[in-house]
Amino acid sequence: MNPIEIKNVYKTYTRKRFLSFGKREETPVLQDVSLCLKENHVLGLVGESGCGKTTLSKIILGLEKASSGQVIVDGKEISKLTKPAFKKLRRLMQVIFQDPYSSLDPRMNVGQIIGEPLDIHGLYKDKLSRRKILEELVKSVGLSPEHLTRYPHEFSGGQRQRIAIARALALDPKVLIADEPVSALDVSVQAQILNLLKEIKQKRRLSMLFVSHDFAVARFLCDEIAVMYKGRIMEYAPAEELFSNPQHPYTEALFSAVPVPDPVRQKKREAVSLTARPGMENHPCPFAPRCAYVCEACHTAPLLAQVRPGHFCACAALPFKNKKSSFAV
Amino acid sequence: MNSSSALLDVQNLRVSFSTEEGTVQVLKGLSYSLPKGKVLAVVGESGSGKTVHALSLLRLLPPTADIEEGHVLFEGKDLVSLPERQLRKLRGARISMIFQDPMSSLNPVLTVGEQLKETILAHRKISKLRAKAAAIRLLKKVGISDAARRYDQYPFQFSGGMCQRVMIAMALALKPQVLIADEPTTALDVTIQAQILRLIKNLQQQTGMSAVFITHNLALVADVADEVLVLYGGLCMEKASVQAIFKNPLHPYTQGLLNSLVSINKKEDLLPAIAGNPPVPGKECPGCPFAPRCQRAEKRCFQTRPPLFGKREHQAACWLLEEKA
Ligand SMILES: Nc1ncnc2c1ncn2[C@@H]1O[C@H](COP(=O)(O)OP(=O)(O)O)[C@@H](O)[C@H]1O
Ligand SMILES: Nc1ncnc2c1ncn2[C@@H]1O[C@H](COP(=O)(O)OP(=O)(O)O)[C@@H](O)[C@H]1O
Ligand code: SF4
Ligand SMILES: [Mg+2]
Ligand SMILES: [Mg+2]
Repeated sequence: MNPIEIKNVYKTYTRKRFLSFGKREETPVLQDVSLCLKENHVLGLVGESGCGKTTLSKIILGLEKASSGQVIVDGKEISKLTKPAFKKLRRLMQVIFQDPYSSLDPRMNVGQIIGEPLDIHGLYKDKLSRRKILEELVKSVGLSPEHLTRYPHEFSGGQRQRIAIARALALDPKVLIADEPVSALDVSVQAQILNLLKEIKQKRRLSMLFVSHDFAVARFLCDEIAVMYKGRIMEYAPAEELFSNPQHPYTEALFSAVPVPDPVRQKKREAVSLTARPGMENHPCPFAPRCAYVCEACHTAPLLAQVRPGHFCACAALPFKNKKSSFAV
Repeated sequence: MNSSSALLDVQNLRVSFSTEEGTVQVLKGLSYSLPKGKVLAVVGESGSGKTVHALSLLRLLPPTADIEEGHVLFEGKDLVSLPERQLRKLRGARISMIFQDPMSSLNPVLTVGEQLKETILAHRKISKLRAKAAAIRLLKKVGISDAARRYDQYPFQFSGGMCQRVMIAMALALKPQVLIADEPTTALDVTIQAQILRLIKNLQQQTGMSAVFITHNLALVADVADEVLVLYGGLCMEKASVQAIFKNPLHPYTQGLLNSLVSINKKEDLLPAIAGNPPVPGKECPGCPFAPRCQRAEKRCFQTRPPLFGKREHQAACWLLEEKA
């Protein structure tokens, strides 16, 4: 059974419009999103800020409600569950956030932070066994038992993210939802945390939804990748397939913008221009204003269609797109 | 890095903060020279002292900070001891700065155009009408389409990338000789980041100005920099041309950083990460600041601080290079 399936999810935020007498402004944030997280796989959700990545994570965690569509966790559709049933299911899914500074309670020591989920669910026999579980947990994330009595402010960003991971692992979840877990970390520390996430995924046979805006990081960790733009999935494929055969003009543009650490090659590369052309805001394809390939074919809304085995792409111009790809790294 | 052709010459800069735990030194003797018409990238992890360094160049540090020692020479003047009144004339006009968060650098209640115009009028004696025309030209120059209409809009109507363009326009308004850019793309998306980097590079080449480009991301500097300085724990670990840094890094820290960059070009099983954590100011090792994380550290590395070894064009502060010097 797939740990998470998302089917045709839409989400619209409504708010009262400023100075317009009760008129409501509707912001569509997710549109027809369908994804599947397979067992012991890492599904990458990649896109620029504001495209809806965190909103989708929140919907899966039950922190937000989808406007329509289905979210199926462990075979159960979450909107149909009673509160206690959802609570039980929710234990299978744990989350790690981007900012390790605001996500840990500064008044609690590391032992209390990591032990809290255990306490809430009463998951140990006695004090001694609680201590043992905690020691195992801190060791599994590369910290030592002495750290249990210390407070968050005594730790660097990377160490705090290890603490957050240990807490997420306390209930032995099946699924980790990691929302940009390394984006706030320095390069040298980022690599450590990525290695750790990969290791625990393999050792614990976890499944992971990995939210990121960084393709290089996604390539390292993910088995499948979904590229999101303005709340829609533009391309969805096994990771290696995506990197060897990017199809969508947006994916291509994103790849071309990733800096390459080589002065000779980087100076020769040409980033695909992504400047929005005005007057195209209502185009059926959300990417059209920035797209280098927009043509006659784009006048219907593009649907996610299989373009190669297991590889889906939402671009109406694809058959006409010049195959001389501008993606060269 | 010949100091005779240097536009900005930073010599042995030491900066400390007075904190509850006493005086903590965060820059421990930083020296470099910025050649005319070149871009020097200062690369370091968070807390390494990048921003403190940038602020001390123009004496914009908070009152708890103290420039204990050192000189910043610009056109024969030492900015560390220059009277405030004279320094104020240089700031913005000859040396300007852009910051990481463009939104908070703009005044939210004034239109973007007004702010740009005011900057121009503060330093140049021209009519308001001409200043407005100059402001619109600048907006065009930094790639803002429909500049005349955009002139009358407020910062909240601009995206993050556009705000950074406006900040660049402001920084360039008075044709400075030096631009100091402190992580100008860190808050932006990769596609926007690529555009802003190109823009800075193009403008720098067109105007012939020099720039100090500060970043935590070594991968970014391949495109923009001519020279690179790697900062760690308030000290220069290595400085060289951008080609040399990427092709022949001498310092174990630089080598580690390059190795730990995640590549988009191949799938790796495990990343060669640098173990350990960056130093905490006030609690660092008396010898090489990198020693606790360095796989090649010897006894003396923990005890004595290595000086910069090597030729002027390529220097690194590591004891391993002593014999070669
Ligand atoms: N509570 C909310 N009310 C209104 N709009 C929201 C709310 N939360 C998020 N949004 C909007 O939804 C879009 C997607 O946000 P988010 O999911 O946080 O994006 P991402 O995580 O990809 O950066 C953004 O345009 C954001 O402004
Ligand atoms: N106002 C301050 N008071 C005390 N310490 C400070 C202050 N500002 C910066 N520091 C310290 O100086 C060091 C360098 O900071 P900074 O230059 O901002 O680093 P970077 O820009 O490289 O991330 C850090 O360890 C930071 O904690
Ligand atoms: S001086 Fe010693 S500790 Fe420092 S980088 Fe060189 S070998 Fe490593
Ligand atoms: Mg988010
Ligand atoms: Mg800084």
